[in-house]
Amino acid sequence: MSTETPTLESLQAALDAQQAVFEMHQSMNVEVFYWWCTAIMIMIHAGFLAYEMGASRSKNALAAGVKNVLALAVIIPTFYLFGWWIYNAFPGGLIPAEASAALPWSQSMGPDVQDMGTGIFWAAFALFGATTGSILSGAVIERIRVSAFLILTVVLGSAVWILAGAWGWHPDGWLLTELGYHDVGASGVVHAVAGFFTLGVLINLGARKGKFINGIAQVIPPHNLPMTLIGLMMIIFGFFGFLGGCIIFNGGETGWTTIYNNPTNLSAFAFNTLMGFAGGVIGCYIASRDPFWTMSGGLCGIISVAAGLDLYDPALAFIIATSMGFIAVKVAKALEKAGIDDAVGAVTVHGFVGFVAVILVGVFAGGTPNVGGNPEISLYGQTVAAVVMAVVGFLPGYLISYALKKANMLRVPDKAEDLGIDEVEILAKPYPETDVPAKTSLETQGA
Amino acid sequence: MGTSITSWENVSAYFTFADNPLALVLFSIGAAAIVAGLISSIKKHEDNAFEEYK
Repeated sequence: MSTETPTLESLQAALDAQQAVFEMHQSMNVEVFYWWCTAIMIMIHAGFLAYEMGASRSKNALAAGVKNVLALAVIIPTFYLFGWWIYNAFPGGLIPAEASAALPWSQSMGPDVQDMGTGIFWAAFALFGATTGSILSGAVIERIRVSAFLILTVVLGSAVWILAGAWGWHPDGWLLTELGYHDVGASGVVHAVAGFFTLGVLINLGARKGKFINGIAQVIPPHNLPMTLIGLMMIIFGFFGFLGGCIIFNGGETGWTTIYNNPTNLSAFAFNTLMGFAGGVIGCYIASRDPFWTMSGGLCGIISVAAGLDLYDPALAFIIATSMGFIAVKVAKALEKAGIDDAVGAVTVHGFVGFVAVILVGVFAGGTPNVGGNPEISLYGQTVAAVVMAVVGFLPGYLISYALKKANMLRVPDKAEDLGIDEVEILAKPYPETDVPAKTSLETQGA
Repeated sequence: MGTSITSWENVSAYFTFADNPLALVLFSIGAAAIVAGLISSIKKHEDNAFEEYK
């Protein structure tokens, strides 16, 4: 044991060394947190995969699954190539700011031991983008061409939503700095944008054959409802990674903040995430008594409170979620009556509920101050922002799918749709031991 | 060969060919080409598959 008398310099050196170790651990904790958030978000995609395959008729089960896997695979590299740059370059509007550090050939966009933030934040954002692609994916099952879907999903997942994210989810985003926009859990920037993009696509894509007979909507039952329900539950699981990724782990004395830099923590998020889930399930069950919608209610509930997840009283969140779950079923029916065939209710669950959720923050949390000199939350600001989200989603979805339709690249041919995409295009069979012909269920419906 | 690192002393960013920005741009173009090629190949596959069902 040393008997040397410590000097002021040696004590300072020891303190500095301890501080360096502490800061390294803080940075590593940030990495670890977002690493696991990203991993948990993968469960969203496992869930959407099961959900959509189950919701398809058996003749299209594999086509739905392949489409889903490929969406994840193309959004990740394209988000690397230009999505991250869009987020960093466009917070002020449509004129790009200098953001060369976010270009794919920059030093921070690769293995850089001095940068313990960029890669892990990029990963979380890439998975948010992939979620938007999955939202579109379910609505268009059984009749869209995979190539067209992938073009659309790249535009949505790596450009459209992240442009909205730059505006409403960036510390310098104009929706925040001009209107005080508040959307901590991405009800608007992810769900509303993806939902309205999906609506634009569905208008051009049209309904599945047999969905409407003489203008009357027919029920096309999922071929595997239990798998659909399990898939939805997996999405709910994944939501905990998604919402965890929406909170900023600052470390040090600052601790947790929202993406808008106001103080919060996971504890605050936990209350309203669970209360929202429960309320949504109850609301949808009361309105529908239908297993599919009951489980979808969990999504409705969480999305309906996500924008104000850090602000709501839990009981209020529960009431909002219950109400929105109930209303969502009615809206989905109205949409169907209007001739829109949304196979999984994505336009309603994500688009409509996300849109209203943004406005509700203005209703129930209007007057709440922002930090950094940004305007306070207001009903006006939230309403304008909700409209912006809807338009930013809808326009590119409609226009690009319209162009694909005109080029005859959007939809599978009629006969292929009758027979099933699996039979025509997929080089494998989902249930090879079954003796039931693939198109039996369609024929029994009189389609 | 193939790396800009000759020693791990004072290394920060170390990805392959980092000392040649042109190479990194070409890798990015290559990555974009893979995605575009995938979508193009799927379209071709679909065109062939749907040919007899039009």
